[in-house]
Amino acid sequence: MDFYLGLMQIIGVHTLLGLSAYCVLLTGQVSLAQAGFFAIGAYVAGMLTVLAQWPLVPALGASAVVAGVMACAVGFPALRVKGLMLVVATIAFGEAVRLFFFNFTYQVQAGNLKLGPHGAEGFRQIRYFPEHGWTTLDVMLFIWAVVALVMAGVWWLDRSRAGAVLRAVGEDELAAQSAGINITAVKVSAMTIGGVIAGIGGGIFAHYTTHIEHLQFGVVLATFAIAYPILGGLSNVFGTLLAVVFVQGFLIEGLRFMGDWRNLLFGGLIVLAMNVRPRGLLDAGAVLALKRLIVPRKDGNGA
Amino acid sequence: MDVLDLIDAVQSVADGVLFGATYALLGIGFTLVFGVMHKINLSYAAASIGAAYASLLIVAGIKAPAILVFLASAAAGGVIGGLVYLVGFKFIPLANPLATLMSTVGLLLLIDEIIVHTTAGVPLNYPALFSDVIVSAGPFNLRGDLMFVFALSCACMVVLLLLLYRTRLGLATRAVSQQPTASQLCGISITRVNVVTFVITGVVGGIAGAMTGAAIGMLSPLLSLPLTVKGLIVTVIGGLGSIPGAIIAGLVVGGLENAFQFFRGVSERDLYIMLLLFAFLIFRPGGMFAMPVGRD
Amino acid sequence: MATVLDLQGLTKHFGGVRAVDGIDLAVARGEIVGLIGPNGSGKSTIVNLICGLLPPTAGRVVFNGADISRLPPHARVTLGIARTFQNIRLFGQLTVWQNLWVAQNSGEQRNQNFLRRWFGGSNGAWEEINRTLEFFDLAHKRDELAANLAFGEQRRLEFARALAAKPVLLLLDEPAAGMNAEEVDQLDSRIRKLRQDGITVVLIEHHVELVMSVADRVAVLNFGQKIAEGTPAFVQADPAVREAYLGSAAVA
Repeated sequence: MDFYLGLMQIIGVHTLLGLSAYCVLLTGQVSLAQAGFFAIGAYVAGMLTVLAQWPLVPALGASAVVAGVMACAVGFPALRVKGLMLVVATIAFGEAVRLFFFNFTYQVQAGNLKLGPHGAEGFRQIRYFPEHGWTTLDVMLFIWAVVALVMAGVWWLDRSRAGAVLRAVGEDELAAQSAGINITAVKVSAMTIGGVIAGIGGGIFAHYTTHIEHLQFGVVLATFAIAYPILGGLSNVFGTLLAVVFVQGFLIEGLRFMGDWRNLLFGGLIVLAMNVRPRGLLDAGAVLALKRLIVPRKDGNGA
Repeated sequence: MDVLDLIDAVQSVADGVLFGATYALLGIGFTLVFGVMHKINLSYAAASIGAAYASLLIVAGIKAPAILVFLASAAAGGVIGGLVYLVGFKFIPLANPLATLMSTVGLLLLIDEIIVHTTAGVPLNYPALFSDVIVSAGPFNLRGDLMFVFALSCACMVVLLLLLYRTRLGLATRAVSQQPTASQLCGISITRVNVVTFVITGVVGGIAGAMTGAAIGMLSPLLSLPLTVKGLIVTVIGGLGSIPGAIIAGLVVGGLENAFQFFRGVSERDLYIMLLLFAFLIFRPGGMFAMPVGRD
Repeated sequence: MATVLDLQGLTKHFGGVRAVDGIDLAVARGEIVGLIGPNGSGKSTIVNLICGLLPPTAGRVVFNGADISRLPPHARVTLGIARTFQNIRLFGQLTVWQNLWVAQNSGEQRNQNFLRRWFGGSNGAWEEINRTLEFFDLAHKRDELAANLAFGEQRRLEFARALAAKPVLLLLDEPAAGMNAEEVDQLDSRIRKLRQDGITVVLIEHHVELVMSVADRVAVLNFGQKIAEGTPAFVQADPAVREAYLGSAAVA
């Protein structure tokens, strides 16, 4: 049972990671920086609860703010970098963040233990959950409460004018400018929102995994972050959730059936998926088809 | 800092520049694919290392001389390049850049895993030429193997430039990179140009992988990600789409990398490379030799 | 008569190419001014300069008395300038309705309550959009993706989107391209209706009949320079214009 709860936790946190990339991808910015904001959120939240004895929710709030501010700072120079160069720039940013934490040590003496991030060794003993008597079930429910909230927020954003504006900028910046949209503000805002969501995800990640280190926040995590919305389809937040469930379920459950071959097949599966369904699992067409199945046509004449 | 330190520093930079030739080759591969197809092939560095591994397989049977291993790596690179095009690019509609990006990520993971599976993750020794040769030039010692790496890489670049600028194939490639639709109307087969581009960059990549292995002395699957990042940085600093840019940027990054390591140590070295990239992105986003942008 | 748009010595060089070379043009409120000229004469470049997608090499763009030459494009829309594109640039993956929704960026619309404007549901905006859709005969395609529309419908949507920001000055870049006679007639009456609503129009067109029918004044460009300006009839008779279009042999 604990195993499945653990799986649910990972899926929840990765959904937040995926949603953070989703918001940025809507504006046409392919950002591999989300893992960097995730890492920042993880370390900030961890340090606040462990070193400064903050309660969890304010710590998560702080990690959201710090990650958001960093994302905003990244958002401006990102404007100068077009298209695929942004991919490289954000990879480099993510690596820079990882390297920063690789070198970052801030320890505090607590009894006969030293607590805090310790360079390459990482940040151990983030024991907020055990110390406050949270069971695995409690943690999972908390994570999913946050995920549900964030998903609802992004869903609402998607349906609102803000969502349409984000997508307009992603489609055609020139036309968007000429229609009166301030693309600078839109792109930086999207990056900031993505940073906030990633920061929250990272903060939660640090606490349920209790030990974080720089290697966890590398290029691979960054590519997973954008893989979820791309594989899931950008027309809908549920696509991202579906992709996370599929990927994490495959990678973790797949261990049982395929053993070591699962990683091999994973790469191959992504290649296959992109060839067969380039717009993702839940693209606009699929959503429309699903709608038609679920909602009966109002007009009696059918097509 | 006294004279001895200065000599060491220059020595370090010189070694770095020699090794930087491999970065230049990787940068060329990334930039050429970008120039022709306007897409980034994120699996390129992994494929290059994969080609080097493949060449070791060929050696396993026979006791081949090092030069044959290098050539085998080049050939394997070409084959892998063609396969990458087939599986990651050919069937995905042009209007879906995200899909091709993702497919190359998938290929990166796939190639890495194949390497790990066939070698059980154990680093393998890679042959080098002239590894016992040291050329002394005054107070400096130039490693023979590094010099060979540099020389072979340069030879490869020269051949590539000749191909691009002195052959009809190269002309067709340059035409497609500037105006794909018009090229088709002139009778150039885009598919053929794309395949050839991938095969040629694959060969270049195979040489890059082999030279990396020769310079370090061994191959490890852990090489692919750092090389991908370095290669991309070199490509961007040099200017996306510019081959001379990639060459110069590769040598510069190689030299600077060692300089940073000399002055600040290994753990901070890569951080400074990132800062260099950011400096370029802020002050010169087009890189050293930006591709000219059209009126539209 | 108030001058809405004033181009003063407007110049744009692309390297060695003088796409626009010292253009002076004044457009009065309520006028419909036609801008014609052979291909490559600089018409589209002028539109890009007026709406801010290109910075001028020299000269000024003055709008309602204020120099807007340094303003970014979206700010000019807020001031009241809107344009259509020669090659339609719709937001293909957004619905017809969303295409108009995102374009509501006039000064008045901007001043609405922030939360309501960006995240709100039903508000005054909806009525405006519905009215515009009715006017352009697109109401039945409200929820259709813009990419799935027929070409004629896409052209109308392009036009409608330009109006969504309630502009004072509208720049139409070859709106009649690819239209049949009936569609051109509809376009003609829509442009006249704009004048009734107090909108000033600059019309770039190749379709000579439409320009002659609807424009108050016409300016003729060739090689980035203005070679003639006047009423449609006057311009049609001008020998320099004939030479530009037909070559010097035709004038002789």
